[in-house]
Amino acid sequence: MKETGLVFVIAILCFVSLEDISSGQSTAIYAPEKGFGVQRVELSSSQTSSLQVENMEEEPEPGESSGEEVPDPLEPVNRAFFEFNDKLYFWVLKPVATGYKTVVPEEARMCVRNFFRNLAFPVRFVNNVLQGKFFGAFEETCGFLVNSTVGLGGLADIAAAVDLKRHEEDLGQTLAVYGSGPAFYIHWPFFGPSTLRDTIGMAGDTFLDPVTYLGDYWYAPGARGLNVVNETSLKIGDYESLKKAALDPYVALRDAYYQNRLSKIKE
Amino acid sequence: MRRKGWIGIMLLALWAACGLDPVWAGVPTEKVKETTDKILAIVGDPALKDPAQAIQRRERIRKAVDEMCDWEEMSRRSLGRHWAKRNEQERKEFVHFFGQLLERTYIDKVEGYSGEKVNYIGERVDGDYAEVDVKIVTKENTEIPVLYKLRTRDQRWWVYDIVIEGVSLVNNYRTQFSDIMAKSSFEGLLKKLKEKTAE
Repeated sequence: MKETGLVFVIAILCFVSLEDISSGQSTAIYAPEKGFGVQRVELSSSQTSSLQVENMEEEPEPGESSGEEVPDPLEPVNRAFFEFNDKLYFWVLKPVATGYKTVVPEEARMCVRNFFRNLAFPVRFVNNVLQGKFFGAFEETCGFLVNSTVGLGGLADIAAAVDLKRHEEDLGQTLAVYGSGPAFYIHWPFFGPSTLRDTIGMAGDTFLDPVTYLGDYWYAPGARGLNVVNETSLKIGDYESLKKAALDPYVALRDAYYQNRLSKIKE
Repeated sequence: MRRKGWIGIMLLALWAACGLDPVWAGVPTEKVKETTDKILAIVGDPALKDPAQAIQRRERIRKAVDEMCDWEEMSRRSLGRHWAKRNEQERKEFVHFFGQLLERTYIDKVEGYSGEKVNYIGERVDGDYAEVDVKIVTKENTEIPVLYKLRTRDQRWWVYDIVIEGVSLVNNYRTQFSDIMAKSSFEGLLKKLKEKTAE
């Protein structure tokens, strides 16, 4: 456990220095003069790809959305992993999730989803606080208390029924709020689309996820596996329709991931 | 008492006039709502549920979608700076096939709807441009934020981009198109597009 923590710290340090080099200026991970994390720092200009520069040639129009793109220097490797995940989905994950879907009724699968989402409360709480979103942290706490008690340990999402909103914040978003850019795109085998920043965020969030502390042996990986199969069973067809609509599914997924992350950071 | 009543009626009339009068007020939302309601009615129509009616059902959804979406504007924006370099014939062909692909994608999405609720959250109008905020609540109670971007052409509102969960359709295709153009050519892109729509 100690070694993993150390590796994580080193990774963050490397990441910060890498950001410094790429932007050519010192990037403070925490900038007190900007207020306590409330300030939304736009993604650093060093991340602007050549596409945006090209887009500048066009006369800007009202209603035109900015054409930002995430750098993808590892594209050949990423594409290979994308193909791997594609096969993994169609040959393993989808058949397993389909079988699970036929055995487990939808109500029960919703309960499993609710349970895992409720359990991940510490991740959302800490990141709301780190971003200075104290109302979000408060509402999250209320939701967690309600769901854990009246909602029978999180199986029922009572919080949503009484209009307590969920504030999906993670460490990747927190790092972005503190001024970090995405660095570059990574398509991980098994985990799928990410960026260097979001990967570090994901690793950090793991320490806040109670599932990690489920004990030795296979309990934690087992629980994670169940969560993945359960989630997949609730959205079979999503990936298929993305593929059907795309001329290049790899690029379509990369862009969808990046655009979605940008909008989450802005929220 | 009588006087107060009159004032009340006058205020009501004024309020109604304000609500109706400004040229575009409320209209973008109405355009989106009109089409969405039409589609939901077609999708929910038990007479069209029969698999034998599938083609007719798709045809009717297609008609409703065509009344809302400006395929040419979507094509122009998705092609970005490459649009200017294409001649009339190439543009026409591109709009034809890309329009088909977008149409199909949209129909595939809405065709599976059952029990989804559509909430209209708000709208912003800025001259010829407007945005309509919608939240789709699925059967599983998941909220999907959808943003329709509209602009006026020929005295009416047309949708030129749909942003689902922060992902703009036009931006997503523009990224793909510029990637393909960088690696091959416009002809290569058109070929891919034809293959895709033929699938």
